Amino acid sequence: MLNDLLLRMRSLFRRKIVEAEMDEELRFHFENHVAKLIRSGLTPAEAKRRARLEFGGMEQMKEEYRDSRGVSFIETVLQDIRYGLRILGRTPVITSVAIVSLALGIGANTAIFSMMDAVMLRLLPVRNPEELVQVRIRTLQSGTQTGGYFTNPLWEQLRDRQDVFSNAFAWSENRFDLAQGGAVQYANGLWVSGGAFETLGLQPVVGRLLSAADDQRGCAGAAVISYAFWQDRYGGTESAIGSNLALDGHVFPIIGVAPRGFYGLMVGTKFDVAIPICTVQVFGKDSRSEGRSTWWLEIMGRLKPETAPQQLKVRLEMLSHQVFAAAMPLDWGQTEQQEFLRRVLVGVPAPTGPSYLRQQMERPLYVLMAVVGLVLLIACANIASLMLARGTAREKEMATRRALGASRARLIRQLLTECILLSLAGALMGMLFARWGNEVLLRYISTDRETVFFDLSLNIRVLMFTAAVAVLTGILFGVLPAFRSTRVSLTSAMKGSRAVESDTRLRFRPGMWMVASQIALSLVLMVSAGLFLRSLAKLATLDIGFDRNNVLLANTNLKAAKVAPERRLEIYDEIEALLQHLPGVISVGRSWRTPVTGYEWNEYVSVDSPSAPKGDDSLVYFNHVSSGYFATLHTPLLAGRDFQASDTKTAPGVAVVNETMARKFFPSANPVGKTFRVLNGQTAAGPTFQVVGLVKDSKYESLREATFPQAFFPISQIPGNDDSEYFEIRTATRPESLIAAVQNSVAQVNKGISLEFGTLAKRVDDSLVQERLLATLSAFFGGLALLLAMIGLFGALSYLVTQRQVEFGIRMALGAMPASILRLVLREVATVLLVGVAAGLCLALATVHVLESLLFGMSARDSVTLFTATLVLAAAAFAAGYLPARRAMRIDPMDALRYE
Amino acid sequence: MADSRIDLPQGTLDLLILRTVALAPLHGWAISERIHQISSKVLSVQQGSLYPALHRLERKGWIKARWGTSENNRRAKFYELTARGRKQLELEECTWRKLALAVAQILETI
Repeated sequence: MLNDLLLRMRSLFRRKIVEAEMDEELRFHFENHVAKLIRSGLTPAEAKRRARLEFGGMEQMKEEYRDSRGVSFIETVLQDIRYGLRILGRTPVITSVAIVSLALGIGANTAIFSMMDAVMLRLLPVRNPEELVQVRIRTLQSGTQTGGYFTNPLWEQLRDRQDVFSNAFAWSENRFDLAQGGAVQYANGLWVSGGAFETLGLQPVVGRLLSAADDQRGCAGAAVISYAFWQDRYGGTESAIGSNLALDGHVFPIIGVAPRGFYGLMVGTKFDVAIPICTVQVFGKDSRSEGRSTWWLEIMGRLKPETAPQQLKVRLEMLSHQVFAAAMPLDWGQTEQQEFLRRVLVGVPAPTGPSYLRQQMERPLYVLMAVVGLVLLIACANIASLMLARGTAREKEMATRRALGASRARLIRQLLTECILLSLAGALMGMLFARWGNEVLLRYISTDRETVFFDLSLNIRVLMFTAAVAVLTGILFGVLPAFRSTRVSLTSAMKGSRAVESDTRLRFRPGMWMVASQIALSLVLMVSAGLFLRSLAKLATLDIGFDRNNVLLANTNLKAAKVAPERRLEIYDEIEALLQHLPGVISVGRSWRTPVTGYEWNEYVSVDSPSAPKGDDSLVYFNHVSSGYFATLHTPLLAGRDFQASDTKTAPGVAVVNETMARKFFPSANPVGKTFRVLNGQTAAGPTFQVVGLVKDSKYESLREATFPQAFFPISQIPGNDDSEYFEIRTATRPESLIAAVQNSVAQVNKGISLEFGTLAKRVDDSLVQERLLATLSAFFGGLALLLAMIGLFGALSYLVTQRQVEFGIRMALGAMPASILRLVLREVATVLLVGVAAGLCLALATVHVLESLLFGMSARDSVTLFTATLVLAAAAFAAGYLPARRAMRIDPMDALRYE
Repeated sequence: MADSRIDLPQGTLDLLILRTVALAPLHGWAISERIHQISSKVLSVQQGSLYPALHRLERKGWIKARWGTSENNRRAKFYELTARGRKQLELEECTWRKLALAVAQILETI
């Protein structure tokens, strides 16, 4: 229908001409009609009047005419936008308040959503990511749970035998020290098998990527660096290719740069450098290459296009037995070997890449998404009230426009357009807030040891989400006011005075409904904020069994210093002696690991007792510590002795145990003097240790754990192959102030020793990052919600007082005391509060159980929290209600009555 | 005068307009007058429905508009039937006659 289109285009783009033509045509018709009437004998004046009567509303007719042109929709939308902008510009204060609060609300939603997008939804930036499958292991006991780690022999078996993947690869993450001695400078590294880049379908930016030829036993190694690393460290110059990069003191030539958007396989980290798996031998980690119990590789494959998911499952199951049989750990006991052979390979689709952060953050993100959603709802309610109040002020305008022929639907469309304009402006600004908010969030969840990275670049999903949220909120806060303010009585509005509504007191007006729902929603947010805060407070004040304050941690590593293994102990003793004499140092301890750091080491333990724990119940967590360790951490020794100089490498094995281990393994007696055996695997007997001391319980891996049974061994008896040790230094002043002095002392002993500093307090803090994030954000949004709800209440009451000014005036003229007026207003507050709190409590009780797993040491229906939140809300509500109430009290009866 | 008028049944206005402009190009006023006269002042077309209808027909491509000079020497918009409009007119006339015949038969027989 070209003809139709042309006509429509003409009406759209030549609007003035088309309008003029329409006017002319109608005028022609009108004048002809008048002439006809005059001919029939009427006076010209009478004829005109008659013609006008017959014609009806000229403007209405034009409107219909315009409608029939078929472009009136676009045209009126444009018109509405122009008019809306003018109207909004006329009240700049209200408009900017509305836009800013919307920007905050929409910004918060966009920020959390783009996090969710980055963590859960974003596909790996590789070729056909939906074909990627992660291979995992299901054991008999684990049920639906699967493990993701493989040994290198298992990987090699799988690689050579599999027939379901067009290509597969293995990888492992590792931090490499770029510095050669002194303060460490970590790079995030990947060990990858030769086929990794080819499987992912990635092309180099410059140079070449690793190939199967680079990953052969005994290789010299080569490094591929990430685009960001190339830019930061080499300024993006091509001469980077061929230059050498030292990782933990081993030098590799750089052969190429990975594509720009590829940040690695794991969401939450970004890789700097990738080297082939065969280089583990260069690092002296032969156990990783050959060890049949060294679980460190993850495996991913690209499904052949013709392989169906069902086929994948069957083929992997068939493959399992051969693979596990060929890579069986020969030193395991018979029962474990039987169990090993029954393990099954499973394929899990991994288009978004595997991520530990994802599991950890999934729940908090959902909770935060709900929280910001509620905040936006509350903000919407406020803006709706604002629009309602403005609607009242525009009643006359609406009445005039209705009288001139605008239909109600047309006016509602106009008002909704204004609202969507507001929310779109809010959304644009919100996107800026979101960018900034995301940066703050990332910095917040990053810790000393782990910089969290998300690819938060804008994508179509996030944009769509924000646009949808903007339009939805616009409609949400616009619909009610638009309907209310176009429902005008033409006559009373034109007369200029609105009939005093007689039943204001009895009806619970929509404004008040909105405030009540705001109160309900903000109560829910305050309750959840309260729960998270109390939970965090419980964790932060928990007795963790050691004193975290004023302890400097120095992680020393001899790898780069190339110290002979037999000289290790000597060197560490030397450093300890130097540190002990530094000014400001109170005491020094040494250990294989520090508490709450994430590494763990556990073994099965047995004692000669019929009631001894068996199986997983007999797992004990280990550490090697020096004789100064307990004193430095302020962990009290309850019985027996600390380690001493006589506990040398060749002396009999001794151990200090904690209370939990003592209770578990030696329930009826003093553990000191007793012995236990460390098992090799689950059954084979290993070395025996004598308990020489008992210490108070302390946390091992996280503050949330039920205290583990722990055994400490002297650091002098540490098995020889670990280069790394921690120094715990209790200081008299701020721990960080000693860093330079410690660095000097270590350099005096050997300049090649690499050092990483931290404080114990920060480590403990960092372990609570998720809890603190939830507590801080929910407290922030809970406070914001309360503030918004109170502004809403204040506004609704002020409006009410203005509306009932006359009534209050009459009451006072008739002798009502100000106090009784105050009561009248505060009764409104109480009603709203009661309704809101009742609804809020029901809502809170019905929903908070989803938070249960995120809380520590308390129920989600914690009565203290519920009570406190209600109390705070009530106090705030009466404070917000007091100002309008005072205004009502001060109404001058004369003034009020004069208005009538 | 108002008593003898009948409002047009739904859908017949298009047919009447097409029929009226089939002989010669006419402007809006003339169309409404012609319908009024030929129907012995029984049918009257409200301006409010005439112009939207004209526009609708124009958009369907059954009539086309062109500016010309009226009998009293004023600029006026004339509407004339297009080839497609003529086909449409024949179709609608045929339908209408069938309908009228059917209605008349029922009214007479029952």
